[in-house]
Amino acid sequence: MATPEWIVDAISTPGVIAAKLWLRGGSGSDPLGQRGAHQLLGSTLTRGCGPYDHLQVADLVEGCGAGLRCDTHEDGILISLKCQDSDARRLLPLLGWMLDDPHLAEEQVELEQDLSLQALQRQQEDPFHRAHDGWRQLAYGGGPYGHDPLGIAAELDTLDVETLRPLARQLARSQGILALSGTIPDGLLTEMQAFAGFSEPATDRDSSGATGLPIMGKTDRSERVGLQPLDTEQVVIMLGQPTLPHGHADDLALRMLQAHLGVGMTSVLFRRLREEHGVAYDVGIHHPARAGAAPFVLHASSSAERAELSLRLLQEAWDDLANRPLTAQEMALAAAKIRGQIAHATQTSGQRAERRAQLRALGLADDYDHTSLESLATLEPEQLRRAAARHLHRPLLSLCGRGAVIDSLATGWIQRVERNS
Amino acid sequence: MGLCHGILSHPTPGPELLHQTLANGSRCVLAPMPESPLTCLDFWCRAGSASERNGEEGLAHFLEHMVFKGSDRLGAGEFDLRIEALGGSSNAATGFDDVHFHALVPPDAAAAGLELLLDLVLQPALQPEAFAMERDVVLEEIAQYRDQPDEQVIQHLLSACCPDQAYGRPILGWESSLQASDPEVMRQFHRRRYQGPHCCLAMAGAIPAGWEQWLQSSALAGLDSKGDAGPGPTEPSLHFRSGRQEQRVPRLEAARLLMAWPAPPAREQTTLMGFDLATTVLAEGRRSRLVQRLREELQIVESIDMDLTSLEQGSLVMLEACCPPDLVTRVEAEVHAVLGAMVDAPIESQELERARHLVGNGLRFSLEAPGSVAAIAGAQTLWRGPQALLDPLLQMEAWDGPSLQERIFPALQPELASTLIALPADPA
Repeated sequence: MATPEWIVDAISTPGVIAAKLWLRGGSGSDPLGQRGAHQLLGSTLTRGCGPYDHLQVADLVEGCGAGLRCDTHEDGILISLKCQDSDARRLLPLLGWMLDDPHLAEEQVELEQDLSLQALQRQQEDPFHRAHDGWRQLAYGGGPYGHDPLGIAAELDTLDVETLRPLARQLARSQGILALSGTIPDGLLTEMQAFAGFSEPATDRDSSGATGLPIMGKTDRSERVGLQPLDTEQVVIMLGQPTLPHGHADDLALRMLQAHLGVGMTSVLFRRLREEHGVAYDVGIHHPARAGAAPFVLHASSSAERAELSLRLLQEAWDDLANRPLTAQEMALAAAKIRGQIAHATQTSGQRAERRAQLRALGLADDYDHTSLESLATLEPEQLRRAAARHLHRPLLSLCGRGAVIDSLATGWIQRVERNS
Repeated sequence: MGLCHGILSHPTPGPELLHQTLANGSRCVLAPMPESPLTCLDFWCRAGSASERNGEEGLAHFLEHMVFKGSDRLGAGEFDLRIEALGGSSNAATGFDDVHFHALVPPDAAAAGLELLLDLVLQPALQPEAFAMERDVVLEEIAQYRDQPDEQVIQHLLSACCPDQAYGRPILGWESSLQASDPEVMRQFHRRRYQGPHCCLAMAGAIPAGWEQWLQSSALAGLDSKGDAGPGPTEPSLHFRSGRQEQRVPRLEAARLLMAWPAPPAREQTTLMGFDLATTVLAEGRRSRLVQRLREELQIVESIDMDLTSLEQGSLVMLEACCPPDLVTRVEAEVHAVLGAMVDAPIESQELERARHLVGNGLRFSLEAPGSVAAIAGAQTLWRGPQALLDPLLQMEAWDGPSLQERIFPALQPELASTLIALPADPA
């Protein structure tokens, strides 16, 4: 297998070490007709590898009181291990075995497949999930980000061990990124180098490794609205657009707009929808770090009779971004929130290791967050407004709620959009 | 016991706590974490929903919202603006027994942040206009929870096992009680509960110099020392009702088997640790008894979990299994069989060691971030008084396989449980 890149971050902790192994190739790389394959593969990796069968893996990990999990994201698979520093020698080789020699035992694959199918069905209970699924479908269609990482039930149901084997081989060939953070025991790194699955730590890696990731999500679909009828009291509203990869030249501007609109109790959405109108409890923005066109989605949920006002307030907040530059005070507040977000996201060894692995996976420099903070000082309100005009000009609307209510909301929204275009 | 010794004698077992009690009975606990990029300020008060009197249902949580609407000195939104302009954040949470308000700020803003936080929490403005607007927000929050079938199922079980008690009603309250409330009723609740003996301030991160002097002249020191003794969590009185019910729930996609058992109040730490170990043996990890049997071997559940919720009037153990509706009867029978087997023979030493490690690391892994350290230290100090962060783990020493078999597993038998079978309203 290709040996992973190492990132080592030795910090003082209460005897804790976190390891994050990022493997390129997540649900966005699911082959045609096999949506859910990477998630199924990832979940099966923890069910037997190298010298351990599924029971022995569980005995080893749980016997140390450690945590081992595998999460499939759109851009990659993230294997997370957290344990006491004194157990690291016994447990870290598991990560290498999972790549080097996954068992993919048939009965374990079938078990995970069944669990995933049940989880997919249970997700449908949540109106937020339904609205998000609808928005994702609207925005990305059959593209890489168009489905839940768990997959599509009809396709997931057809997968078997043989469909997973080539993906496992591909995963092993691709270069992973292994980030360690926390209390690193003396001699641990030297011992891990001797293990076949791991290479020598690259502590002084050249950080100019941008990979020119493709921008996805440029959909030519004409639909602007997705409706998910469900007999609920509230209407869940999601309004947004596929935008940019994390690290794109305009992304910092979008993250400033995200902070301005949706982060904290001073945010525009919180103040307008909650404090000024009292029409929603849960409001915010979904704008994750992605290798491709990341969603930039405003969301709120309101009771049926207030949903129209909520939608109008969301739309006004959206329109303002491209029409009105932020004031100096708003710029300073948004910048402070981004500084705060970075500090908040480096509190635990797990957070630190994950961010470091994520930056490398995105082809960004290790000091990207630091340079972003420096760039904040030079951003002008007009740059943000232009970024909004370029990337936030065609919102898509997903609604989940009672049929008649969301039909009416959608009709009104389309009329307003057409009138204003 | 290897784990206890290992954890407690580890060279870095987490921050060492500093405790102080003021003349009015309020407490302060500090957890120095000088390398942390943020300092957490966490104010705790024994003012959860269990402190509410008739007609006040939902007021503890509603007050938590109203606190952020400004104080006599701070205008609406001013606290949020000042904290977030520093790169900080704030939030709050209301439970059955207590409520806490916390802010994460850069270390150099900790002293100023403390002044602001105490002012906000202890002198809320409770303006009528803001009260009416925020009530609408809380009503939306209630509607949002009602739209989540899994929340409804859990609430139904709590109502069934703790009828006519605080733990059986929603923390958010009822629409009718909220509609009937007014700022004066809320002010009375605040006066009654936010008093010296009910309060604790926790701080984790870089601690401002001169904190002892500051504390003596703070708003915390100015609180009344009397406090209201009841009705509230000071009189343990959980009246648990066992039984079995079935319920059809609209929009439920998977069936649920829920079971609840009564456990001792939170102050009985040794016994609660026994329950913690027992639930870990039963349902944490693939090698736990229930997960291994029902999910891994029989493959009849999507998930099965057990949780111990530590509460002042009497704790609760809850089990939740998700499965296809046509398998729920079999799932229930298998759960009964596994629970029944636990009283027939002591657990293996390997199982107990595994549980000790999982419980121990569950706490150890929480000691990295100032937010979680302040929350643990604040809750511990509020209810139990001065105690080191890892002290609860000492209680593990009291338990071995035979003692769990004799004293804990018999309390987790099906006939003692309140059971709810929740099925989709439309089987099609």
